[in-house]
Amino acid sequence: MKKTTLGMLTALATAGALTLAACGGGGGDESTTPAGGQTTSGAQASVDPGAEPVTLTLAGWSLETTPEFQVLADAFMAANSNVTIELKEYDANDYGTLMLADMAAGNAPDIITIKEAKALGQWVDGGQLLDVTDVVSALPANVSGAGSYTIDGVNYAAPYRQDSWVLFYNADLFSQAGVAVPDGSWTWDDYATAAKALTANLGGKKGAYEHSWQSTLQGFAQAQTPGADLGGGQDYSYLKPYYERVLDLQTSGAQETYGNITTNKLTYQGQFGKQEAAMMAMGSWYVATLITQQASGEADSFTWGMAPIPQYDSSTTGTDKVPVTFGDPTGLGINAGIDSSKVAAAKAFIAFAASDAAGEALAKIGILSSVSSDAVTAAYFAQAGIPTDELSKFAISTHDTRPENPQSPNIAAIQTALGEAHTAIMSGSSAIDDAIALATSTIQSEIG
Amino acid sequence: MSTTAIEPAPPPTRPRKRRSALRWHNTLRGWSFIAPNFIGFAALTLVPIIILFYVSLTEWGALGDPKWIGEENFTKLFTRDMRFRTALWNTLYYTIVHMPLTLVASLGLAVLLNRKMRGAAFFRTAAFFPYITSIVAIAMVWNLMFSPDYGPINQILRFFGVDNPPGWTVSSTWAMPAVIVVGTWREMGYYMLLFLAGLQTIPRELYEAATVDGAGAWSRFWHVTVPCLRPTTFFVTVMLTIGSMKVFDLVFVMTEGGPGRSTLVISQLIWQQAFAEGDFGYASAISVVLFAICLVLTLIQFWVNRRAER
Repeated sequence: MKKTTLGMLTALATAGALTLAACGGGGGDESTTPAGGQTTSGAQASVDPGAEPVTLTLAGWSLETTPEFQVLADAFMAANSNVTIELKEYDANDYGTLMLADMAAGNAPDIITIKEAKALGQWVDGGQLLDVTDVVSALPANVSGAGSYTIDGVNYAAPYRQDSWVLFYNADLFSQAGVAVPDGSWTWDDYATAAKALTANLGGKKGAYEHSWQSTLQGFAQAQTPGADLGGGQDYSYLKPYYERVLDLQTSGAQETYGNITTNKLTYQGQFGKQEAAMMAMGSWYVATLITQQASGEADSFTWGMAPIPQYDSSTTGTDKVPVTFGDPTGLGINAGIDSSKVAAAKAFIAFAASDAAGEALAKIGILSSVSSDAVTAAYFAQAGIPTDELSKFAISTHDTRPENPQSPNIAAIQTALGEAHTAIMSGSSAIDDAIALATSTIQSEIG
Repeated sequence: MSTTAIEPAPPPTRPRKRRSALRWHNTLRGWSFIAPNFIGFAALTLVPIIILFYVSLTEWGALGDPKWIGEENFTKLFTRDMRFRTALWNTLYYTIVHMPLTLVASLGLAVLLNRKMRGAAFFRTAAFFPYITSIVAIAMVWNLMFSPDYGPINQILRFFGVDNPPGWTVSSTWAMPAVIVVGTWREMGYYMLLFLAGLQTIPRELYEAATVDGAGAWSRFWHVTVPCLRPTTFFVTVMLTIGSMKVFDLVFVMTEGGPGRSTLVISQLIWQQAFAEGDFGYASAISVVLFAICLVLTLIQFWVNRRAER
């Protein structure tokens, strides 16, 4: 009996020690690991075919419905026979938390997908990501989005996917209402005028739909307003004109109110796909969804198109200019704890993911690559069911996409405070000035 | 155990040895029965709590080693963090309204359903249903009911002549009452069950004697039911208070703390700091404060209960 108890006590102590180790361990190891591949040049997008066989693990989510990871892996493996890439699946909604847990336990895969640029700072602070500046600086000039992964001049990931926000419009509803479809020359005031005209002539349907997300409004104000500084924490008054315009659209009935969207859990796919609203600003990821839903009958069939997102003022409107929009890329970084023998292959893979070949492979499954080239655009518009007018092509291929979450040590705290302001203003609970003032003082006390 | 103290003169040596060996044996046996549960508790609760206290004094992003910063987290919490102040106030608001409301509602339900009538079992089950229904589904349906323009609640209010019915979950004034209503509706069935169990233990004879003495229904309730239920009421009060202070899931799925920060509660702030902003040290400091508040409230309740027992 005595022996058993002793055994149990030992087990108990071990369990405790393990818990402690699990909580404190991971990072400790990382900090002592020399930055594995600093010496290895990895900027080429392929590996020496005669090299030793290497197996890399790659983080992905919802693999069943998100084929992009497998597409990238297959395309790379086809060109590099000695490399095997295994996918490690995570839950899409809890990706950040699950990855953090894996990192803390020292279990993270070799190649870490950056789903939200917001999380990067924490991972870099924790010493989890390898410096891949050599790979990123060797990327061709037509790759965009790398800036979202740059902290203090060091690149921690290469973007392979870059969505950006465009204006979707329902051409049938526009002609029914007798309103001219967007021609690329719109500012937000033109958009508001059109929304009201559409609402007046559509009998019960709304001219515009603006989803309840903070980014749907703040992303544009942040990207387009000259001098707007999200990370600075000083002045957020640039949000005000955008809110005034949207509150006016809500009050006049030209767009669904925030209260009805949140309490009735309206989906943007339903509102646009079921023709409840004639136009909607949304990220380009919706293109693939809309095509699929129209094919399956989940969405009505109607003629639709894409236009550049309305602009702050006329200095960036028209198809001879480059419209300013926003969007965060999706990127690939390398685990700082990776075995040094695998670094070259890992770097080759993340460089490959941002290449023309990968871009075309992604475009075929409806994913917009971070690479912009005629070949990628052609492959993207070869999808069945996609509108092929010139303006849609212009909207998808030409834009100055600013990051939604520029890297700043306080970005998560800033976004939280501005998110509170968003719900307060949109629900009409708080005046615009009051909400912005509260957010600003919260951010300053947080930063200070 | 307490018999040790009043044990008479020491018995002769050999028997005592044997007895102490026996006692040791019994203790070990007792421990071995508790051990499986205790090991689980220690590994999954006790040790993490001890770590929590340490982490609350550090700056830690869940990766790497925590950096010791002493009481800095607490200084920030009490002097600079306006969001914490709002969250603390909101949590107290929720507790102060939700706790008595649920107590009264569940006691009322229990008394109503503690009689032999047709369908009592059905109504008891019906009252317990909200507690076992998924919180996400509950939030979804209640949000629809609270919808300012199309929701049935406001339609009924308009029917009765209320011109400007509240915006409920999208109004900073009415969001908290809306959450409290749903919280009470959800939990009263569970506490009703506890009260029903308590009511079963009250001897019939007490009511008969009171009736013979001329006490009416109201008087029997106040002078027989309420005093006899005191142990149950005490337990329910403690559980309700702690539960209200820790409220998280309901607020999170109904309003996410909004609009603005009008329904932001402490647990949500902890979640936000840890998982949205990656500041586990600061989140731990808030947890320690929440732990301290719950501890103090519970101690006060024990103290009040003990005084009432005398």
